[in-house]
Amino acid sequence: MLSYIIRRVGQSILVLLITGLVAFSMFRFVGDPIDNMLGQERTMEDVERLRAQLGLDQPFVVQYYRFLEQALQGNFGVSFRQGRPVAEILLERAPATLELAAVSGLFAIVLGIALGVFTAIRRNGFTANFIMSASLIGVSLPTFLIGILLIYLFSVELGWLPSFGRGETVDVGGWSTGFLTESGLRALILPSITLGLYQMTLIMRLVRSEMLEVLRQDYIRFAKARGLSDRVINFRHALKNTMVPVITVIGLQLGSIIAFAIITETVFQWPGVGLLFINAIQFVDIPVMAAYLMLISVMFVGINLLVDILYAFIDPRLRVSA
Amino acid sequence: MLRFSTALALVLALPASAEEFNFAVTTDPQTMDPHAVNSAPVLGFLNNVYEGLVRRGKDMSIEPSLAVSWEPIGDGEGWRFNLREGVTFQDGSAFNADDVIFSYERASSEQADTSSWFAPVSEVIRVDDFTVDIMTTAPNPIFPDSIANWMMMDSGWAEANDAVRPDKDQGNFATLNANGTGPFQIVSRQPDLSTVLEPHAGWWGDVEHNLTRVEMTPIQNPATALAALLSGDVDFINPVPIQDVARLAGNPDVQVIQGIEARVIMLGFDQQEGGPSTNDMFLDPAAREAVARAVNVPAILQTIMRGNAEVASQLVSPAMRGYSDAEAAPYGFDQDAARALVEEAGLAGQTIEFKCPNDRYLNDEAVCQAITGMLAQAGMDVTLDAMPVSNYWPELRADNFDMYLLGWSPGTFDAEHPIRFLASTPNEEKRLGSWNFGAYSNARIDELLPMIQSEIDEEARQAMLDEVAGIMQDEVAYVPLYVQPLVWGAGAGIELTQRPDNFFILRWVTVN
Repeated sequence: MLSYIIRRVGQSILVLLITGLVAFSMFRFVGDPIDNMLGQERTMEDVERLRAQLGLDQPFVVQYYRFLEQALQGNFGVSFRQGRPVAEILLERAPATLELAAVSGLFAIVLGIALGVFTAIRRNGFTANFIMSASLIGVSLPTFLIGILLIYLFSVELGWLPSFGRGETVDVGGWSTGFLTESGLRALILPSITLGLYQMTLIMRLVRSEMLEVLRQDYIRFAKARGLSDRVINFRHALKNTMVPVITVIGLQLGSIIAFAIITETVFQWPGVGLLFINAIQFVDIPVMAAYLMLISVMFVGINLLVDILYAFIDPRLRVSA
Repeated sequence: MLRFSTALALVLALPASAEEFNFAVTTDPQTMDPHAVNSAPVLGFLNNVYEGLVRRGKDMSIEPSLAVSWEPIGDGEGWRFNLREGVTFQDGSAFNADDVIFSYERASSEQADTSSWFAPVSEVIRVDDFTVDIMTTAPNPIFPDSIANWMMMDSGWAEANDAVRPDKDQGNFATLNANGTGPFQIVSRQPDLSTVLEPHAGWWGDVEHNLTRVEMTPIQNPATALAALLSGDVDFINPVPIQDVARLAGNPDVQVIQGIEARVIMLGFDQQEGGPSTNDMFLDPAAREAVARAVNVPAILQTIMRGNAEVASQLVSPAMRGYSDAEAAPYGFDQDAARALVEEAGLAGQTIEFKCPNDRYLNDEAVCQAITGMLAQAGMDVTLDAMPVSNYWPELRADNFDMYLLGWSPGTFDAEHPIRFLASTPNEEKRLGSWNFGAYSNARIDELLPMIQSEIDEEARQAMLDEVAGIMQDEVAYVPLYVQPLVWGAGAGIELTQRPDNFFILRWVTVN
């Protein structure tokens, strides 16, 4: 078992190194940060001096090695754009993304499971069919458009909710939270729906099909034969067994909510790490881009590693064949 | 981290009658250090916080600020500035000649991005507490104009906070904090999120605004910014997307403020023999003229700019000092002439590589597409390559183009500026022609530039500027297309002043 875990950890580190190298070599195609950092009246001399100062005159492999060396010590360098340590900026931005991801995740899970169960039980009802058809529209519209539509309806036309930003935030032990103010909570509604809509439909459809599968099983028929109420059959017996694959998918989807918050954050000017990354690309802020990409790959590799190890615990055959 | 709660406490503590003003910007100023980055977002914003010896008025004319008056010394050996007495910085310390000397040393240092402004300066002398002499190597008639954005810092504050020199690479205290003499002071600054300003109670000037609190929020997405304006979440946005202008005009809750920017959009050409792109077709002036005749600028302005821009004939707009009235006629669209010139220059059968940015100027890519089509109609074969601006400049510097699009806004608001950067033969040592990517070169222009720079007599100077403008028109050095429009959006009750440099000056804002 131990050797299996060590092997998997080793593979994960290799994956991280390769992702990092690919990402780092791509930075050369994003453009040159120097022009953004210097004004119109710069000279070639200024350009060369700043390039050398930032280490950009080195081959990218050397730059990558330096980045890794520093990153291992927890130092992600200084943002070209803001002139502040990247780690500090990321920590400042993380609460916004995590809160948004948490709320939209919760929205997706609660509503997704509820609607999934409903549409499975009332398989042929009018409402269930309507929900299923409406969910297709939700899946096929791009996130960007959904966000803009929500803003125009609820901010511009109705004036109920703010059109951008996080509202007022309160600082709790170094964590800036929007949960404690009215404007903070109101600001969460539209972006959470935008970000969670796709996941919600995904969970709903998964729950529905799993539930339909389970409801066909023999033990459900026996339960019915025993005269148990529909309520007990549906929620105690059927739903419990439905949830096993659903939970696995939810776990993996949570990672992608954080990673794909980028579009929602751009539309709503939500001050999280996704927006930070978009700004960094426009400005060719290499230290920020590198740190963000590493963070996201660490997250995904970590989740996958955890899942693999858990499976190995459950199914001993994997330990040998892997 | 305290800043969040401080900002919140301030909001809660404000009386209901306070005139709060929220505005959105596309690009957050990357630093609060007035000498670290010489870019419009930084200088435009900091003009509300810091002040220079002189400043620009509503019509862009130079007027007294921290200097009450100035006059040339002798036969143009330099300029004497008489400083304003009783000015205090926002931290309460007094302003005097020592701060000017310190700000000169700081802004002209190697670490500063503003050092080119001081290239003509040989020495700065402190005459007494409120008199400073700035000596120049040659007579320099436009020196006061060229330092309108040179902002004064307090030497004591900079020393106490370890910010004696700007630091672009690592940042320092002045990157996030400010202490100017200007009408507004920064009370909280969270880069890329929000910057809150309040009036500086000890400001020396007459207060024209009625603002008690100002918040600046960056919003990059134009649709979001527009929605924020329409829903009243912000009181001002810049720019308004041109395609939305007509729709906004019918909305009583908002106003659209339109003007002409200082920026001229033009086409440039590869004019060096050999070079990485071996295509030497634009060495022939006839080829460049063919392009000039083939592009229907009024049509572009009508369709893509929706009537919001003016045709340009020179590298500066008519609002700039030194604009040449004698050379005001643009090339003019003439497709038959263009076809004939294509034949004459042998352009037929050659592929013109046209580089264009897609995120730098208003509707830049759409304009380039239109130009590509127009050139094709005149018999030219053009491949358009549009890209983000951070890839664009390296591409131009590597000479990977036959033709390119460029916008130029002269920092000094004088016709000399583009001659120095765009029309001079590139010369790294003399710091000339650093944006002359096509290496246009004319011996007479190179000869005239130093004379223009040191000529004190306005009439003689204008005659030389006219001559340069004439040469550039005759040789089709560049093809000036149009002056880029400024389109701002504001709430209905907001009064403000729009300046062609696209600076948003808060002391001219009133909320009704």
